[in-house]
Amino acid sequence: MSKKQTLALRRTRLYNLSMNWLRNPVHLIGIAAILFLAYMIAWPVLKIAYTTFVWQQQDVRLTGEANPGHFTLYHWTRVLGSDMSVSLFYKPIMNSLAVGAAVSALSMVLGCGLAWLVTRTNIPLKKTITFLAVIPYLLPAWILSQAWLTFFKNGKIGGTPGILQSLLHVAPPDWISYGFVPIVFSLSMHDSVFFFLIVGAALSSMNSQLEEAASVAGARRLTVLRKIVFPLVMPSMLSGFILIFTKAISSYGVPALLGSPVNFYMISTMLYSSMRSRLTTEANVLSLALILISVATIYLNQRVAGSRRSYVTVTGKDSARTLTELGRWKYPAAGAAAVLMAMIAVVPLLVLLLQSFMLKEGQYHISNLTMHYWWGGSDPDINTGEKGVLRNDTFMLAIKNSLFIAAASAVLSAVIGLILGYVVSRGKHSWIGRVVDQASFLPYLIPGVSLAAIYISMFAKPALLIPALYGTITLLILITVVKELPFTVKAGSASMMQIGKELEEAAQVGGASWFARFRRILLPLNRKSLMSAFLLVFIGAMKEMELIIMLVTPRTETLTTLTFYYAEKGYEQLTNVILMIIIAIVIAVYLIAVKWGKADLTQGIGGS
Amino acid sequence: MKIKLRKYKPARAAVILAAAMMLTTACGEGGGGSNTNVSAATVPAGQEASVQPSASPASAPAESVDELYAKAKEEGKVVVYSTSGRANDAAETFMKQYPGIKVEVSKLKSDQILDKVMKEQDAGQFNPDVIVTKEVSGAVEAEMVDQGRYTKYLPEDIAPKVDEPYRTEAEAYANYVEFRTIFYNAKHYAQVPITNWWDLTTPEFKGKVYTADPLSSPAFMDLFTTMVINSDDMAAAYKEKFGKDIELHGTENAGYEFIKELFDNGLIVLKGSDDVLDAIGKADSDALGLAVSGDVSKNEEKGWSIQPIYDIKPKTSVPDSGYLFIAEKAPHEAAAKLFIRWMMGETDGKGEGLAPFNEVGSWVPRSDVQTKNDIPYEDLNLWLFDGDALYNTAPKVRDFWIKQK
Repeated sequence: MSKKQTLALRRTRLYNLSMNWLRNPVHLIGIAAILFLAYMIAWPVLKIAYTTFVWQQQDVRLTGEANPGHFTLYHWTRVLGSDMSVSLFYKPIMNSLAVGAAVSALSMVLGCGLAWLVTRTNIPLKKTITFLAVIPYLLPAWILSQAWLTFFKNGKIGGTPGILQSLLHVAPPDWISYGFVPIVFSLSMHDSVFFFLIVGAALSSMNSQLEEAASVAGARRLTVLRKIVFPLVMPSMLSGFILIFTKAISSYGVPALLGSPVNFYMISTMLYSSMRSRLTTEANVLSLALILISVATIYLNQRVAGSRRSYVTVTGKDSARTLTELGRWKYPAAGAAAVLMAMIAVVPLLVLLLQSFMLKEGQYHISNLTMHYWWGGSDPDINTGEKGVLRNDTFMLAIKNSLFIAAASAVLSAVIGLILGYVVSRGKHSWIGRVVDQASFLPYLIPGVSLAAIYISMFAKPALLIPALYGTITLLILITVVKELPFTVKAGSASMMQIGKELEEAAQVGGASWFARFRRILLPLNRKSLMSAFLLVFIGAMKEMELIIMLVTPRTETLTTLTFYYAEKGYEQLTNVILMIIIAIVIAVYLIAVKWGKADLTQGIGGS
Repeated sequence: MKIKLRKYKPARAAVILAAAMMLTTACGEGGGGSNTNVSAATVPAGQEASVQPSASPASAPAESVDELYAKAKEEGKVVVYSTSGRANDAAETFMKQYPGIKVEVSKLKSDQILDKVMKEQDAGQFNPDVIVTKEVSGAVEAEMVDQGRYTKYLPEDIAPKVDEPYRTEAEAYANYVEFRTIFYNAKHYAQVPITNWWDLTTPEFKGKVYTADPLSSPAFMDLFTTMVINSDDMAAAYKEKFGKDIELHGTENAGYEFIKELFDNGLIVLKGSDDVLDAIGKADSDALGLAVSGDVSKNEEKGWSIQPIYDIKPKTSVPDSGYLFIAEKAPHEAAAKLFIRWMMGETDGKGEGLAPFNEVGSWVPRSDVQTKNDIPYEDLNLWLFDGDALYNTAPKVRDFWIKQK
């Protein structure tokens, strides 16, 4: 063979090899996904990272050495190794890690316990419990911390004493009233719904024959749980753990409210402070610290999850599920769960609702009740003449925008999450899967405000065939989709992990294209997870504020920015009216989703 | 095979992602190289600053209201970024007075407006016309006004009636002035409980002083920073109170010493101004709280019984001004001017647009406007707002504050 021939042969082989490689949908979609993630996430992160190594104009304020535009390690040494570091970084980061770990653990116990009761046992009142379990998540987390203060406030922060102190005439100690404990409780109440939904979906798609087989073989109930159920839902639990961990360490509202009276600062509150003080670079260093923690967490997760076999539990055939008999514990368990849920879900909700009808706050008699804040006209004596919400034109615009943004981003997120989840689960052993997995996780760690700031400059001008999106609803949808990726991709991959390759392979042998396989097999089998993702994103988007407030222009006003406006002006009743409307919308959508997806969601998260 | 694949670590993944990123962005970044700097604090010298000279004269030539209205009607609308909801109230009356011009108000915090406008302008988008903003420890002046991003607007016919420093010395005309001061519970105290800032460091008020968190609100930090800048005043007030010279406990000057002693005396930090006033004003309380003067107008609505103290030694406070600016390359400039005139209360100061700004606890610095407060603006005992000094000192005071924890 001549040299020329060899070369040609090699070239053909290379061509064939790469075509083959690309023909694998995991690779093709994976590459597309990586390009998307690179532009939407990695680029902003690199931009943030870049600024931390360059002297900024503002640094002249901190040190005379500053030389704007030149390379420096000053920002990193200031945060990590100066006389400021303990207060600025080490204490807050220890607090963040502690809160993150505690919130994940507590949410896991609550969420998984509830998910197990609802999906795998014969507990009554399943639908009620499920419904109640979702409610705390519909409320902004700070409402739960406010409720906490109403009960457990002591004399330290003045004002009206908490209910507990009024009743018992004993002041609760500071550690119950403020700081670590209440922060962990408030966040856990709010976030355990993630565990409930994600683990619930995994549990319900699990084939109960496995458990039966074990029982037949003589295994005790605990052994079955430990040896069979637990390993099967392990991936979902790890997903939930990481999601909630990172969500907790980056939360701002709750730690700001409950932490400051006892000087309890987290990285997130420090970061917000740097931002507000125009120390942008310091804020960037702190965000990168958060991002690094998340990468480390994911890495650990992969070490744990990667060392286990993957379990395929859904195959084509359906199997009858047998539920664990709770026996005499049936009613007490249901009662306890329902009462507990009602306490944390319904009480704050009712208080808010009541307040929206009170002419003056805190005066509990009939004559103080009014509909003014709902549909009253302009009265100069109340809120300087601000009209009732339902008569306000801005409200109509805002509700239209909010609904559109939430619905569009929820649909997009659910589908994108599933597709990326497909890449992650099928490409588990290739670099593509890993890159997608890790990159899709970063958005949660970039503070909403900084992501938004970067998006302004990225999308203010046309670039890369993308028209200028700034000032459009599209940009708000895009950033919501990106910000929710961690949830949707985790949910998508956890759900895909449960689906055997055999079905797809069979269809492939039968000549079905990837698109057909996705539409005919994967979509229907993942409907539960899709619905969960849709709901989570919809709810998240309806409540989202920090992320979009920078990107909103007067024409793209949303319900939350309107809430913000009212809250800032101190119009608490009007704020509550809008919150009630947001919650009503979310509950309505939730119920429709449950009804519409009857076969899936209801059974996925319980039902009968 | 499996073993080999195991080698792919996150670091490696990051490299791949970064490479992909370069690929995707290489073409997109072609034109806009100048805005790669995320926190572009200032524009490279001479680039944008020359577009619109920032050294604007003390007052702008008076275009007649009719002229402005005619032009503004063609423009059709005016876009306002405001830190204060009062702009919304002014917008409502404006649209009645000048039909055909729609006012669109976005409400954001001052530092967010600053970031947003900077990013927008760097990307070549000129969206807002009018900016209603507070200072952010001098950053508005240093990063926006000096760069020509925000422009002062003070019509010639109104200028003579404006009090200093807002006529010629300050960065712009301010439509209202508030400040941070000490509040007390009027049910508990028949008269003003303190007259000197150092009173707060005495055993009488141990664990009984509240403040909104200066770490999340630059305006609160500005008051403490101003005490550091004017530490001689603080030292003199110390001597007046205790009859001896101040002794510094490892701090640089009397301003820092005050912060330290405040912490040592059990200062309680709450999230915001409302939380502070809730704490001292909801029930009978002998505690004191640092909050915004304008909040006194919420007394009835919130069920508080609070009163501000308007005379504290050495100075009561430092002004926090609600400045009015026209944004660089404002797309609806005539409408912007017309709207600013409306908020100013027009030539005679009697226009309805001023009403939302002329409230108890906030002052309109115009000699021809009657204040609703018992004390006229000129009689307030305030430090000068020194933007330059604040801009350079605030980060150090913030560091000092953080170290107290």
